[in-house]
Amino acid sequence: MDTITKTRLELLARFEVLETKADILKAPELKKLFAEIPKLPVDQRSAYGKAVNELHQELQQLVETNKQTSIVLPPIDVTAPFDINCPEPKILARTSASIHPLTQEIAIICDIFYRMGFTAEESREIDDQYHMFESLNFPKGHPARDDYDTFMTVETDGEGDPLTAPAHTSTMQNRILRKYRDTLMIDEAIAAIVPDRVFRNEDLDARHEHTFYQVEGVYVAKNVHAGMLIATLQTFLEAYYGKKLEVRVNPFYFPFTEPSFEFALSCPFCEGDEAICKVCSSEGWIELLGCGMIHPNVLRAAEIDPEIYTGFAFGCGVDRLVMMKYGIEDIRHLESAKLDFLKQF
Amino acid sequence: MNVSLNTIKQWIDFDLPPVDELVTRINAQLGGVEKIIDLRTQYQSARIVKVLTCQKHPNADKLSVCTVDVGEGTPIQVVCGAPNVHTDMWAVWLPPGSVVPSTYGTKDEFKLDAREIRGVMSYGMLAAGDELGINADHEGIMEIDEHDLPSTVKSIQAGQAFSEVFGLDDTVIVIENKMFTHRPDCFGQLGVVREISGILGYKFTSPDWYLQKPGTYPKPTNASIPLQAFNDVTDKAARFMAVGISNVTVSSSPLWLQCALVAMGSKPINNIVDATNYFMLITGQPTHAYDADIVQKNADGTKHDELAIGVRMALPGESITLLNGKTYKLDVSDIVIANHEQAIGLAGIMGGKDTQVSAKTNNIILECANFDMYTIRKSSMRHGLFTDAVTRFNKGQSPIQTNRVLFELLKNVIGLAGGVQASEISDIISDSLKNNVESDEYHYPVTLLPQFVHTRLGLSIKKYDMVQLLKNVEFTPCEDCGWNPEDTKDDRDDWHVSVPFWRTDIHDPEDIVEEVGRLYGFEKLPRELPERSIRPVAKNPRREMKMKIRSAFSDLGANEVLTYSFVHKDTFQKAEQDHTQAFQISNALSPELQYYRLTVLPSLLDKVYGNIKAGHDEFILFEIGKGHNKKYHAADDNGLPRELEFVDAVYASKKPREGSPYYQVRQLASQFCMNLGFTCQFKPITKELDYPVTAPFDQSRSALIETREGTFIGMIGELKQTVLRSFKLPIYTAAMTLDFEGIMKAHTTAKQLYLPLSRYPSVTQDISLKVPMGVRYAEIFEVVEHTLEIVAGDKQCRLLPLSIYQSSEDKTSKTITLRVTISDMHQTLTDQQVSRYIEAIAQKTHEQLGAIHS
Repeated sequence: MDTITKTRLELLARFEVLETKADILKAPELKKLFAEIPKLPVDQRSAYGKAVNELHQELQQLVETNKQTSIVLPPIDVTAPFDINCPEPKILARTSASIHPLTQEIAIICDIFYRMGFTAEESREIDDQYHMFESLNFPKGHPARDDYDTFMTVETDGEGDPLTAPAHTSTMQNRILRKYRDTLMIDEAIAAIVPDRVFRNEDLDARHEHTFYQVEGVYVAKNVHAGMLIATLQTFLEAYYGKKLEVRVNPFYFPFTEPSFEFALSCPFCEGDEAICKVCSSEGWIELLGCGMIHPNVLRAAEIDPEIYTGFAFGCGVDRLVMMKYGIEDIRHLESAKLDFLKQF
Repeated sequence: MNVSLNTIKQWIDFDLPPVDELVTRINAQLGGVEKIIDLRTQYQSARIVKVLTCQKHPNADKLSVCTVDVGEGTPIQVVCGAPNVHTDMWAVWLPPGSVVPSTYGTKDEFKLDAREIRGVMSYGMLAAGDELGINADHEGIMEIDEHDLPSTVKSIQAGQAFSEVFGLDDTVIVIENKMFTHRPDCFGQLGVVREISGILGYKFTSPDWYLQKPGTYPKPTNASIPLQAFNDVTDKAARFMAVGISNVTVSSSPLWLQCALVAMGSKPINNIVDATNYFMLITGQPTHAYDADIVQKNADGTKHDELAIGVRMALPGESITLLNGKTYKLDVSDIVIANHEQAIGLAGIMGGKDTQVSAKTNNIILECANFDMYTIRKSSMRHGLFTDAVTRFNKGQSPIQTNRVLFELLKNVIGLAGGVQASEISDIISDSLKNNVESDEYHYPVTLLPQFVHTRLGLSIKKYDMVQLLKNVEFTPCEDCGWNPEDTKDDRDDWHVSVPFWRTDIHDPEDIVEEVGRLYGFEKLPRELPERSIRPVAKNPRREMKMKIRSAFSDLGANEVLTYSFVHKDTFQKAEQDHTQAFQISNALSPELQYYRLTVLPSLLDKVYGNIKAGHDEFILFEIGKGHNKKYHAADDNGLPRELEFVDAVYASKKPREGSPYYQVRQLASQFCMNLGFTCQFKPITKELDYPVTAPFDQSRSALIETREGTFIGMIGELKQTVLRSFKLPIYTAAMTLDFEGIMKAHTTAKQLYLPLSRYPSVTQDISLKVPMGVRYAEIFEVVEHTLEIVAGDKQCRLLPLSIYQSSEDKTSKTITLRVTISDMHQTLTDQQVSRYIEAIAQKTHEQLGAIHS
């Protein structure tokens, strides 16, 4: 019995200083008291057990009460610039500030594309399946939809289909084509990029995030051909890395472009010279993005005549660019809000 | 897609380039290569040997001691535990030092040696089928008979490399499946070898049985199987074919076939099933074999008078046990293969368990059909069944190949398992497909101008060259449609390109452009930038605004973070927000991602504790992000949920500082607005508000922010004590939730005010006003400001708060001290003048607010 009394006092003292009050119920001392019960002589068990139970209930009560009693602070004069008898609050030093590396990089990308004649748009975080799939030449039930592990909502759109968390920034293609369609009439190209957030329903690990950033590019005019796509991307990447680069295209499949390509650049970090390059695994090439000539059905869906106009589109992961640039080892850091990480940028 | 180079070599008459070069070309002109499997190394040591003598082991009942001719003159002694080992048999020997092929490349590679077994030396081992990684057989060692040999091999000798005789000296190139989402033909070896020929510049010719339109259908030798095929759903199954074979002998396949299946990534089962799989692997067309007697059986075990087999939709409540042994409850939108009574297979996905071909089977039905790719895909997803057949059917196989594959399969099954054709061939074709089957074409020819290809590729490729590229992969481009094939300019006439029946993906001129470009080589496209005008590009004002916001926060020492758009339900509870207003994710892999967030702030609050733990004592986190609300903004943005853009921040200090934390964020918000070129006002919340934005705040210690013109900017304040506790936040925490649209409006409409500089010195005086506690600072400030406007309106006046004092004795009042600085543009001001203004202020504040000037 003395042990119970002693433990009780210890636990009550600890309760006062505990940060998470409920943790008191997990105290090893309490467990130890319970563990004693079966070891006692039969005649002592009942009284001892009752006492331990009472202590447990007392602690539970304390935790419960603590939850309910919220300290109500008095109102303050919110119109005042500082508190009574206090000096003006100090602003944190500018040196403690940081801007997220992803938004910094997107600003750099936008800047290059602005100079190349592309405007920049924003994407959405909830979209319908028409924009995510149908308008991009993925008919309903198309197997290519499986390649995009798309988050769906319980809520549905006007057609009764679930809404989606866009798995690519291409979800904005139809809107961009429509928004800038009139510029084609004055013989100006549609040229826009969309750097924004996209989502894939994937398990997290050091290389996979369910939330990441892409930059979409759309270019439509008369007589646009596939060679222009390659040249445009090469020009952008050379401006981005500030050096001459080799690029190559391999055939790929996307429903919304035809032909479709996987686009790779010569590794700008090792230039193929170093025996050990973490970025390109010493292969000398980095597969960076998907691209292609916009499928005529995508142009038609935006009421642009594919007989007269052609164009190209591309989509590039921004997180990858940032990770390669700084040698970031784990993609999860980007959305972790860890100051240890952020303050390095 | 596993492509066996040894398999595809049978259809080409040129030498493949070295593997490295081939892979480079495939990558560049067909699709990404995922990996290369080197079977040659896996099987490099296995040798064909002849058992010369075979005697019982002196010390073990179940072991035999054999001498084996391994082709090196002196026979080798091997101890063998297999019951089937005997003199004069041909077997496969794995010498000491070799790795057992089934363990090759695994974590537990098993390396053989020469060792004593019960007192007798054994050099290496004689291998069973499972040890060779070919089949599951572990009953005995593999015995090679004459019928096991490939047709090209007439005889074998002891010592020959096993892999060379059976084609396992192979390289398998694995191409990523997603490359072929649109290419049903490339899920067969034939489809891939055709493309390889094309990209290497050789003309490919498919085997006759696949290429040519079949003539009359084979007739039964003996119509002993009363086959009655049916197709109740021709809109879902455009073609259904079946044929019966009687008196088959089910056994294991000859070794050459087993090895061919292994090379293509499949597993041998028995001769009938292996034949169906083999034809699927080379053509992309799945087929299935059923035990005919079981299909014909009634539920009570008696024999039905006819053998009905066909396609229908599953019935309500119907279920089926499939080959994998699992039972599935069917949905009425599943297509099934059925007999007269019940479903016997999930069409296009997997056959039923009961009707499978087994060692007891005597009579079989072969089925070859074409199903709607979308329906198959849905059923596959619904039941979580992803089979080789699904992979092929959901790409849209050509219904023109169905009969070709069935005829060749029929011939080969009889060749492998004996028996005779025992029924007519049933071929039920949907009405819409009949004309295509008649004309033997899946699509009409594509018509385009040669110029169309030129402009889209930027290439001036000769028409003659385009014709050759397409002919190499068995397209039939019109060669003389009134134009000169040598000419690059002539675009007078349409060009007709006939599409081979297996290319169900080709219908538009753009598809021909892709073919030509790819076969020609995209790397040869001319790289030139588009021409553009010098018209300046308009920058996106929202993006620009966000950059300014980042910079404004940055000047205040804040850290930008990015957090997920999705949150756990708990996060709403902690922030005391109503989760029923949030859009819900239906398929998230993790519970952390159940809902779209309502506002950004709770995500930020969630990140404070970890940073404090990591040793950061005082910081500001901010994020520009979106929230969604299905109660208030379900469909108010062109039918879609409005995306509410928030500019949220939290200030936290581990150690409390002087005064309430509210004033810390007030200072922050005030400076933030000034950095963006406008000033804001802080208004007390007089009536309790109930929105996701206001939920976490202690409203008696929070304020709404507006510009002087009345544009709503947002809310700042301290958080409820319960919220602080739930997020484990330090006491000295305060936060803000601002509206991006409001900030943008305030910023863009703000006028830059310039005050000319006075040539005369300004005069500064401080005024202290003691007011009752109930009087707000803003009330005093406004009266002072207003009074100055009246009495000194022609002068420049600046007001600055200096202190708010309360003595420890009197808690009912406070003294507010303001610094008044006045300058005149035309003359030097005297102290007396300024004192008059101060007196006017004292008088006005006394009259209106009961202030006492001290």
